[in-house]
Parts: sequence; C-alpha cells; structure tokens
Amino acid sequence: MANALRLYLKCIRNTLEAAMCLQNFPCQEVERHNKPEVELKTSPELLLNPVLICRNEAEKCLIETSINSIRISMKVKQADELENILAKKFLRFLSMRAEAFQVLRRKPVQGYDISFLITNYHCEDMHKHKLIDFIVQFMQDIDKEINELKLSVNTRGRLVATEFLKQFV
Amino acid sequence: MAAVSIHQFAQCITCHAWSPDRTMVAICPNNTEVHIYKFSQEKWEKVHVLYKHDQIISGIDWSVESNKIVTVSHDRNSYVWSQESSEWVPTLVILRLNRAALCVQWSPKENKFAVGSGAKTVCICYYEQENNWWVSKLIRKKHSSSVTSVAWHPDNIFLATTSADGKCRVFSTFIKGVDKRDKGASSSQDMKFGEQICQLDLSFTWAFGVRWSPSGNTLAYTGHNSTIYFVEDVLTSPCAQSVAFRDLPLRDVLFISERMVIGVGFDCNPMVFTKDDSGLWSFLKFLDERKVTQSSSKYGSQFYHLEVVGVSVLPKVPSMKKT
Repeated sequence: MANALRLYLKCIRNTLEAAMCLQNFPCQEVERHNKPEVELKTSPELLLNPVLICRNEAEKCLIETSINSIRISMKVKQADELENILAKKFLRFLSMRAEAFQVLRRKPVQGYDISFLITNYHCEDMHKHKLIDFIVQFMQDIDKEINELKLSVNTRGRLVATEFLKQFV
Repeated sequence: MAAVSIHQFAQCITCHAWSPDRTMVAICPNNTEVHIYKFSQEKWEKVHVLYKHDQIISGIDWSVESNKIVTVSHDRNSYVWSQESSEWVPTLVILRLNRAALCVQWSPKENKFAVGSGAKTVCICYYEQENNWWVSKLIRKKHSSSVTSVAWHPDNIFLATTSADGKCRVFSTFIKGVDKRDKGASSSQDMKFGEQICQLDLSFTWAFGVRWSPSGNTLAYTGHNSTIYFVEDVLTSPCAQSVAFRDLPLRDVLFISERMVIGVGFDCNPMVFTKDDSGLWSFLKFLDERKVTQSSSKYGSQFYHLEVVGVSVLPKVPSMKKT
C-alpha cells in the first residue's frame, strides 16, 4: 500500500477513536424523542467542530461529531469519466442496501460520495474498535474495488470489440 | 491492579447504585427495568425487578439511612421505591418536566433529591407529609443546555450541577419547612431557593460528572476535552485547577478522600488523581493494568457512574463494566 494512503487512513483512524465517545442523549427540543444530534443540528452546543481530512482534492473525509452520534462522509478518487460512473453506481448500490450495513447512511451528505452514521446505540451493541476497523477497511477497499471494476469493464470492452470486429476479418 | 472480580449482569449497564450495606446492587440493563442483585453464597443473584418506567432509566440512587431507591427515566417521571416486607413499592413523583430526566441524587440528609433534566432545569423534590406526596420545585432559566450531573454539598443546601453548555454551577436549594435555619450557621442559609451562588466557566465543551469532596471544600468535574477540573473553596474564594490528560475524556468522578479522586470514562480504565502537599492535583495512574489493546475482545464500553464501596467488602464487589 502506498505510504500516503497509509498515513491518510491512520489519521482517519485516530480521529475516529477520539471522536467516537458517544452516549445516550435524549432530544432537548422535542419531547420523548431521541434522535442523532448530528442530523438534527437543533442545539449548536451539542455539536463539536467537524474535522476534514484531505489526501488530495479528490479524496477527502469529513467527520462530524455530536454528543450522541457521529457522521463520517467520504469522497472517493475519481480520475476519469469511467471511474466517476463506476463509483457513483457502486456506492448507490451500497446505499440502497443501507440497512444491511447498519451504520451506512441512505443518502450521502452533499458534496460526498458515501456517508456513515454511527449512534450511541451502535456503540452499545458493537465493539467500538471493530466499528472503526470496518470504516477504515471500507475506505481501503473502495479504491481497490473501483480499480478492479474499471479493469473488468475495460477487459470486457476489449473482448466485445474483438468479437464484434471478427466478422469483418 | 486488575479488577478484583468481574460479573456480567447485562450487556450494557446504563446506571447503578449500591445498597447501604453494599450487599446489593441495583442496575439498569439499558432498558426500562431496574434489576437488584444480591450477593449471597459467593455469587450474585437477581432478587428483584422494578418495572414501572416506560423509557430507558437514566439514573438510580439508593439512600443510605432511609433505604429508599429513586429512579429517573427518559419518560420524564421519577419513582421513589421503598421496601415493604420483601417487596419494593413505587411512589410516583411528578417532576413537572417536559423533557427527559437525566440524573438523580439523594441529598445527604435524604429529605430531598435533585434531578437534572434535558429541559435545562433542575428539580428539587421533597416529601410533603400532609399530602403524602413528593413535591418538585424547579430551578429554571439558569442552564442553557441539558443538565448532565448533579451533586449535593454535605451541608444539604448547596447543589452543584454540570451541563452540556460546559458550565458548572452551584445553587442554593433552601426550602422553607424542609430545611431549618440554624442559629449562627454560615451564610449559606440566607440564600433563597434557586439562587445561583457561582458559575464556573472552565470547560469550553460539555461538562460531566460533578462531585464534592467529603468535606465539601473541593469540587471536581470533567470536561469532554479530556480535562478534569478541581475547584477549591468554591463557596468563599474559588481557586481552580485543570488537569489535562492525553487519553479519552472522563465521564464521571468519585472522591475517595479529600486528596484522591477516581475518574472513569471512555478509555474503559479508571484513572486516579491525587493532590500533593502543595495542593496541586495531578494524574497518578490507571487503576486497571490492561491498557487498551486493539485485538482484545472488549466492548467499547464506558464507565458512567461510580460509587464508594466499603473497603470491607471490596474483594467481593463486581466491576460494573461490560465485558
């Protein structure tokens, strides 16, 4: 793995470890509600400063923290048109199945490709370090996944073109 | 020093309280029930389940003299449980809150208890003999966010609170007819109910876990910026010290003596702070040997509440940690 990527992921991991100190916190504004404050943003004092970690212009990760929830949004590398389409389709495919992932948000935050929402309830039934491992692993794999998709699209394209052009030989 | 013994009562414990003789412990297993466990024949047995609340219970306190349990919950109500023969009988306390109750503590004389709430208010509840009823009096409009923790001064009048706006405040809770004005007593008794004695603005993020030292001279509370604050002579001429540490923030503190404090928090490892002869507080050590290891199968668990345990039963007490 490239050194720069390792540093980027290490930085994200350390930030998540510090930021993921969540607790049960009922809503201050609405009676008998208990909602992720990072989504509602009704009480500014319950939010912490968001942290933006950038590897370069195309790849960045935004970590927003509140007293009972944390939102992690990321933008993945899209070097060309094809990568752009592949990333969009692939992440949409994942987002559509968000409930299978539990911590995945159904819609990414504006300006990002994919978002995770972790609440105190997730921390209560899952290991904190495994949640962090999952997020970091996801980030690590997503580039690889898109590269592989790109390769297979290209291979297939070449194959199809060869087969198609055979009839003119 | 590693944990003396570990007992798994539930996957997640939101709050707990010890019985006066330390043979029983009341816990909330992250739902609407309170389970009371008793230590007998070398093991913990579940002896009672208190079921009355309809949302998660956020605070339990067990009074030492009168043997009463008070519970508060996110459903905005509170119950005082008293033991009649072998059963625990609940009495509803109407807190007059319109948001969740978050924390509770009996006053030292046990004639009042304080409830911190998400409605940015503190309720002081006292028993009215003629109506056979717990009455709640509110301290309003002083906090600008949820009250995360309350602590009674040993004189039964002063109450310290911490709130999610990062401030720690001290109030007078003098209630006519409940508290008596002693002759020649300190100025504390001239204060009206709900009067703010002081406001400590040390933390710039959420404050938690306020406690008074046994004598009431020192006040300790924690901030979410991994700092613990010690304030000496709060009522006369406050003098504050803040101790920052490199680990994750603390959630609650406990005075072992005038010079020793234990803090627990998101690091899952209790921290000991001590005061030296010159009056300076500093971090001494972690109580648990086990440093956070990435590969361990521990939950990302957190200590939320602490209570003093009598030294005589120390070898038998369970650790209140999720495993």
